[in-house]
Amino acid sequence: MLAPPLLNRTTMIDPVFQSDNYLLARKLLDASVVRQEAIASNIANADTPGYRRLDVAPDFAAQLRTRLEAGKLAESTSLKPTVVEDLSARSVRPDGNSVEMETELLAMNRNGVEYDFLVEVVSRNIKQMKMAISGRAS
Amino acid sequence: MNIISGIDITASALNAQKTRLDIVAQNIANAQTTRGPNGLPYQRKTVTFETELIRHEAGSTSTSSGRALQSVRIGMIKDDKAKGERVYDPQHPDAAVDGYVEMPNVNMAYEMVDLMTASRAYEANLSVVKNARQMALKALEIGK
Repeated sequence: MLAPPLLNRTTMIDPVFQSDNYLLARKLLDASVVRQEAIASNIANADTPGYRRLDVAPDFAAQLRTRLEAGKLAESTSLKPTVVEDLSARSVRPDGNSVEMETELLAMNRNGVEYDFLVEVVSRNIKQMKMAISGRAS
Repeated sequence: MNIISGIDITASALNAQKTRLDIVAQNIANAQTTRGPNGLPYQRKTVTFETELIRHEAGSTSTSSGRALQSVRIGMIKDDKAKGERVYDPQHPDAAVDGYVEMPNVNMAYEMVDLMTASRAYEANLSVVKNARQMALKALEIGK
């Protein structure tokens, strides 16, 4: 038998997988991965003359917030984090490179902790669902 | 898409820094070489880094609409054209008729600083790999 089209399927598990927390965590996880790539690029190019530091576009968080407040998080599948040049970073070096190693390493550590936290949020949501299905704690 | 995010960028940086270390090793090893294959004293080599846009897998990555990520590669390896020190040593086989020997233009202080910078940069990139790996392992634990 063919599976029904996705749009018509209103299942019992929707309340969990359509909840704001879960959707938000998923979006932020995406951003976290992109940020990790940007930081990898920055540290790789720490000695490249003229390189400008990259970061996740600041309007991603802003857009996410607007959609969350409007209650349209479930429809924002097109919202993707992008990498842009960090215009706020200034270069204090003669070679025009705007990467500061300390800042990057701190950002990377922070991003790692954030990622762990978000993974935990997503994981708990799924575990909750499993618990509801099986009636057992694990 | 990579399971370990940004790994190809970091790999390129590790490669570039390792080449830089190799060049430093070559310079230090030849600090006393007064005659190369061309009969002239050894000339110190320097490396330059440049960025390289990484290939996009058509529309698959989340960065497709933003700026491309940049990996790093060795631009060129050039001779330092500065003149070396001239030392008075008439016994030396490579001494000129006036008794002076032209030494390589290797400066130990420069080389040591370069060596340390390169190895620190290498370490920084390694810590990026560690972090990315940790993230990938965490992602595999989702739902467990």
